[in-house]
Amino acid sequence: MRTFTFALICVAVAAATFVAARLVGNDYVFFAGYVVLQYIVLATAWNILGGYTGYVNFGSAAFFALGAYATVFLHKAFPVVTTYFVDEPYALPIPVLIVIGAVISGIVGLGMGYLTLRLRGAFFAIATLALAVVLQTFITNWSYVGGSRGAYVIRPNDIEPIGPYIQYLFLLMLALAVLALVVARSIERSRLGLGFAAIRDDELAAEASGVPTLKLKLIATTISGALMGMAGAPFPYYIGYLQPTSAFALDYAVNSIAMPMIGGTTSWIGPLIGAILLGSLQQVATVTISSSVNLLIVGLLIVDCVIIAPTGILGLLQGRRTARDVVADPAVFSLLFAVNVIPIYFLHQEAFAARPLEIIFWAVLIFLAFARGRLIGLRWLVGLPIAGAALSMVPDPPRLIMALVLAICLVAGLVRRPRDPVARSTP
Amino acid sequence: MYVSADLLINALAAGLLLGGFYAAVTVGVSISFGILDIVNIAHPGFIILGSYIAYIVNTRLGIDPIIAAVVLAPAFYALGALVYQVYYASFERYGQESLRGLAFFFGLLFVTEVTLILVFGVDYRYVDAPYIGPSIQIGLIDLPLRMLVPCLVALALIGALQLFLSRSFLGRAIMAVAQDQLALQLMAASPTRIKRIAFALSIATTAIAGALLIVIQPVEPSIGREYIGRVFAICVLGGLGSLPGTLIGAFLLGIVESVTSTFYGPSWAPAVAFGFLLITLAVRPAGLFGR
Repeated sequence: MRTFTFALICVAVAAATFVAARLVGNDYVFFAGYVVLQYIVLATAWNILGGYTGYVNFGSAAFFALGAYATVFLHKAFPVVTTYFVDEPYALPIPVLIVIGAVISGIVGLGMGYLTLRLRGAFFAIATLALAVVLQTFITNWSYVGGSRGAYVIRPNDIEPIGPYIQYLFLLMLALAVLALVVARSIERSRLGLGFAAIRDDELAAEASGVPTLKLKLIATTISGALMGMAGAPFPYYIGYLQPTSAFALDYAVNSIAMPMIGGTTSWIGPLIGAILLGSLQQVATVTISSSVNLLIVGLLIVDCVIIAPTGILGLLQGRRTARDVVADPAVFSLLFAVNVIPIYFLHQEAFAARPLEIIFWAVLIFLAFARGRLIGLRWLVGLPIAGAALSMVPDPPRLIMALVLAICLVAGLVRRPRDPVARSTP
Repeated sequence: MYVSADLLINALAAGLLLGGFYAAVTVGVSISFGILDIVNIAHPGFIILGSYIAYIVNTRLGIDPIIAAVVLAPAFYALGALVYQVYYASFERYGQESLRGLAFFFGLLFVTEVTLILVFGVDYRYVDAPYIGPSIQIGLIDLPLRMLVPCLVALALIGALQLFLSRSFLGRAIMAVAQDQLALQLMAASPTRIKRIAFALSIATTAIAGALLIVIQPVEPSIGREYIGRVFAICVLGGLGSLPGTLIGAFLLGIVESVTSTFYGPSWAPAVAFGFLLITLAVRPAGLFGR
C-alpha cells in the first residue's frame, strides 16, 4: 500500500471517528477522545525513537510540556483582543501554535540528540530523564509563563463553523494523530527505517557497514521530539490552566513508554493499539476510580507485558514466545503472581463499578496458574484463580477465602519443580 | 550578591553532610549499575519502601529507625535476590535488558510508589529519634545531628562495603563479574549467582538509605522520583563501579546543591543536580574516577 493510499484511509477513518463522536451528541466523548488521541500521537512519536532505533526516552513529558509552554508563552505575548461587541479571534490560531511547538520541541530534540546520542542505551535514558527535570526547573522558575503557580489560558466557548471549541480541539488532535501515523509508517518502509532497524539490532555493525548512525539518530530524536511538541501545543487550551506539575507529569512519560511496549514496538500499528487500549482503559478508570489506581494499572501492565509478552500484543498475535518459558522460573512466577494481586486488592476497596477493571489482572493470574500448572504437572492449579475471579464478582465477596485461594495457588505453584528438563535448562 | 563567609561556611558544611547521605543513597546504584550493568531505575522506589518500613517500625514499636533498618536489611536482601532472579530469567538471559529491562524497572518503580500512596496516602511521614532536633556548634559551624548521624552511618556503610568488595573473596568475585564474565565461568564460578548476591546486596543498602532519608526529612511516596536523577548523577559523576568515586561525587553534588539552595533558593537545586549529570554525560561519560 502506498503512503498516499494509507493517508487517505487514515483520513477516512478519522472523519468517520469525528462523525461518530458527533452522533453521540455528548461533549464528554470529545474530552475523553482528545486524551486518547493525544496518547496516540505521543506513543507513536516515542516509538519512532524508542521502538525503531531502540533508544529509550524517559523525557517525553519534557517535549510535550515544551509544546504546551510555547503556547502559553505566545498566548501571553499576543493577548486576546476583547472589545465590547466581539471577541476578536486569538492572534495566533492553534494550527500555527502547533507548528511552533513542533519547531521548538524538534530543535530541543536535535540538541538533546547532539548532547547525548554518543551515549549508549541506559546512559541515554538517564540523560533524557535529567533533561526533563532541568527543563521543569527552568519553567517552574520562569514567572513570565506562570512559574510554579501556573497560567490560565481561557478557551473560547465556540468556534465557527464547527461549534463547541472542544470539538475543534478534538479535530486538530485527530489530524495530528493521522499525521503521526503516516509519518511513522512511511519511515518504517523507507531506507530511513532500515537504517533505524540496523541501529536497533547492532549499532556497531551498522556503523561499520556504513550506516551514518549519528545522523540517523539525530533525525529520529528531532522527528520524535517535534511530534511530541505538536501533541503538547493545544494542551493549554484543553486544560485551561497549566501548571508545571501537570505539563511535566510523569503520566506522559510512563504512558508513552507503556503504550508502544504493550502494543508492540516494531510497527506503527503497535503504539496505535496500545494507545487506544490503554488510553480508553484509563479514561474508564478515571471515571470510576481514583487517578492513582490508574497509574498503578499502567505500571503493572508494563511489568506484566515486558515479561509475559515481550513483543507486545502484536508479537502475542504472531505467537513468538511460548508461555512455558515465562513461568519456568519460580521467581518469575511468584513475583508476577504477587504483584498482580495488589491491584485486585485495591480495586476491591473502590466502588463496585471498578470491578470490571479487575478482569485484566484475574486474567493474568489465571494465565500464570495455567502455564505453571501445566509445567509442573498440577493442572488443577488453574481452577484456583478462576474460583477467585468468580468470587470477586459477587457484590460482597468473602475476602478471606479469596486470599486463601490465591495463597494456596502461589504456594502449590512453587512446591514442585518443572518436570521437563528442557524448560529448566538455561541457554 | 553579598556572600558572607559565615553563610558560605555553613552551606559548605551542610553540603558535606548532605553529600554523605547522598552517598548512602547512591551506593546501591553504584553496585547494581556501576558494577553489574543493571540499570535499576526502581532503586529510589526501594529506598522509599525502606523509609516507610522504618516509619512503621518506629511508630508502632518505638525502635530507632536506623537500627530497625539494619535489622530489616536481610529482608531487603531477599527481595533483591528475587527481583534479580526475575530480571535474569526474563531479560538478561535473552539479551533484552536494554529496552525491556529498563521498562521493567520503570514499571516496578511505579508499582511501589502507587502502592505506597494507596496504603499510606500522600501525607508526609516522619520518625522520632533522640538525634532529631538538637545540633552541635563548632565555632561558626552549626551541625544538626539530624544530618550528622545519617552522614556518619553512610560513611560507615560505604567503608564496610568497600572493605567487603576489595578484601573478601566474594567481594572480589563481584568485582570480577564486572571485568570478565566469561573468564569467571571458566573458573567454574557462576556469574549469575554472584550477580544475584551483589544485586541483593545493593537492595539491602536501600533499607538503610531509606531509614536515613526519613531521619533527614519527612517522606512522601513520590519524592523517590527526585532521587532517580541524583543517584545516577552521582554514580556517573564519580565513575562507574568505584565506591570512593561515588563518595566524592556525592560530596560534590551535596555541596553544589547546598550552596545553590542557600544563595539562589531551593527551587533551583534540582536543575543543578541534573545539569551536573547532563554535563558529565556529555563531556566525560566515564566519570571523574571511571574504570
